[in-house]
Amino acid sequence: MHEHRTRAVLTALLAVAVAALGLAGGASAKLVGNYTRFAQCPYKNPEVARCLYSTTNSGEVVLGKKTVPIEKAVVLQGGYAESDAKGNSKFIGATNGITLSKAAQNVPGGLLGIVPEASQPPLVKALIKFFFENKLTGLTSTLELAKSASDIVVNEEALGGELGPGLTLPVKVHLENPFLGKSCFVGSSSSPITWELTSGTTSPPGPNKPITGTLGEIQFLEGGSILETKGTKIVDNAWSAPGASGCGGILAFLVNPIINSQLGTTTKGNNTAILNNTIFIAAAPAVKSNDEENP
Amino acid sequence: MNRKAISTSLGAALAALAILSAVFAASAGAAPAWKFEGKSLEGTETVLGAAIDSSMTIPGLTTKCEDFLYKLTIKNEAGTGKGEVTEVPLFNCTASEVCTVKAIAAEALPWPAKLTTVSTSNYIVIEGVKVSILYAGTKCVLGGTKVVVTGSAGGLIDNPTETATFNATTLTATGTSLKALGQKIEWNGLFPTEAFEWHREQALSVS
Repeated sequence: MHEHRTRAVLTALLAVAVAALGLAGGASAKLVGNYTRFAQCPYKNPEVARCLYSTTNSGEVVLGKKTVPIEKAVVLQGGYAESDAKGNSKFIGATNGITLSKAAQNVPGGLLGIVPEASQPPLVKALIKFFFENKLTGLTSTLELAKSASDIVVNEEALGGELGPGLTLPVKVHLENPFLGKSCFVGSSSSPITWELTSGTTSPPGPNKPITGTLGEIQFLEGGSILETKGTKIVDNAWSAPGASGCGGILAFLVNPIINSQLGTTTKGNNTAILNNTIFIAAAPAVKSNDEENP
Repeated sequence: MNRKAISTSLGAALAALAILSAVFAASAGAAPAWKFEGKSLEGTETVLGAAIDSSMTIPGLTTKCEDFLYKLTIKNEAGTGKGEVTEVPLFNCTASEVCTVKAIAAEALPWPAKLTTVSTSNYIVIEGVKVSILYAGTKCVLGGTKVVVTGSAGGLIDNPTETATFNATTLTATGTSLKALGQKIEWNGLFPTEAFEWHREQALSVS
């Protein structure tokens, strides 16, 4: 009886181990080739029609008087549903939760906003950078999603046709410096900065002037399952930004106004976002199929 | 310098100018005419045909139609060959293993056409081209997307074979281009030019 029970327990344990291996096998299914970049796309979600992997390699964000060049790549990834009658598609966030990667961009001039003039000698420029863009006085700006990923809107027709908003992104800007604390933001979930990025031409209120983006060059991969765009420039210079909040911790009531005065006017027509991207879009069933074919 | 010498120099200069003008006129696109059996077409004629070979390529995705038919009405106006593409039925079109062509149609017909000469070669230039292609396929990234091809296209006329060839070289030569998804696309096509009305079985040439 005892031996029989031991055998039964061993059999059960073995079954559990086999099941675990099976599950592990399922989880280790991997994407190969051109599909690898879509690993965080929720392609198993039947609502997802396309997978998106977009890298912003360069560009700039002008917020009032401050210009922040994009020097570190920012990735937007996830999937999106079939479009509605207006051509808008609901976004579904990345499976690992990192729909928009966080890359701290250096703010030229740091906290004090002292930027060398272009005509100044390299040594002066280097010294200014050393004194005003170091760990203490330096300032970084990180773009973060202000709302849920489902509030992102993709419009393929607008993006492809270079007309109207192709990507609507609710964002906030996280300003970081030892003096500002960890909660210094421009924009919030209740009052986000909404970028309506277009590959076409903007029509902002003054003082900004219309600027033009481009879809760039496109090519199809995997027989038409993946679309790659290169040199895609999406722009918006008709957005507004609320004032800074949460800067300086308990001294926020003092520090917020200082930050706002440094930023200057941030109403519509005073800000600009220019994002230079490489975009990959895949048919979600093709990604799923690639996954299933490569256990 | 006497009067005779001046007159001779002036004559030579004018002759040189005339030659230069003629050369420039030819390279800038002197207007050739439609001819049947070597005689200029009077009135109108209908040219019907089916592409011997035709494909449209956005890098990585080539769309081909087995049956690419066309109907072109031609005439000469003030010695210049003109015309209109009035019908372009497209059937049995394919793209790739994952992308099928659910629907394809020529739109905004008729498309105006004209003959032109560039560097001694004769071309037919078709303007106002508009073709909509609806791709399908669950694994096709363009599945459910309507791609619209627009622009103008110039094709090289070859009199001996009675054909018009459209490719990147002929489009560049005629300063024409076709666009889809915001960029230039490649179009290759070989079309026979054969009359099907009053001048049936007569040799059609352009000069």
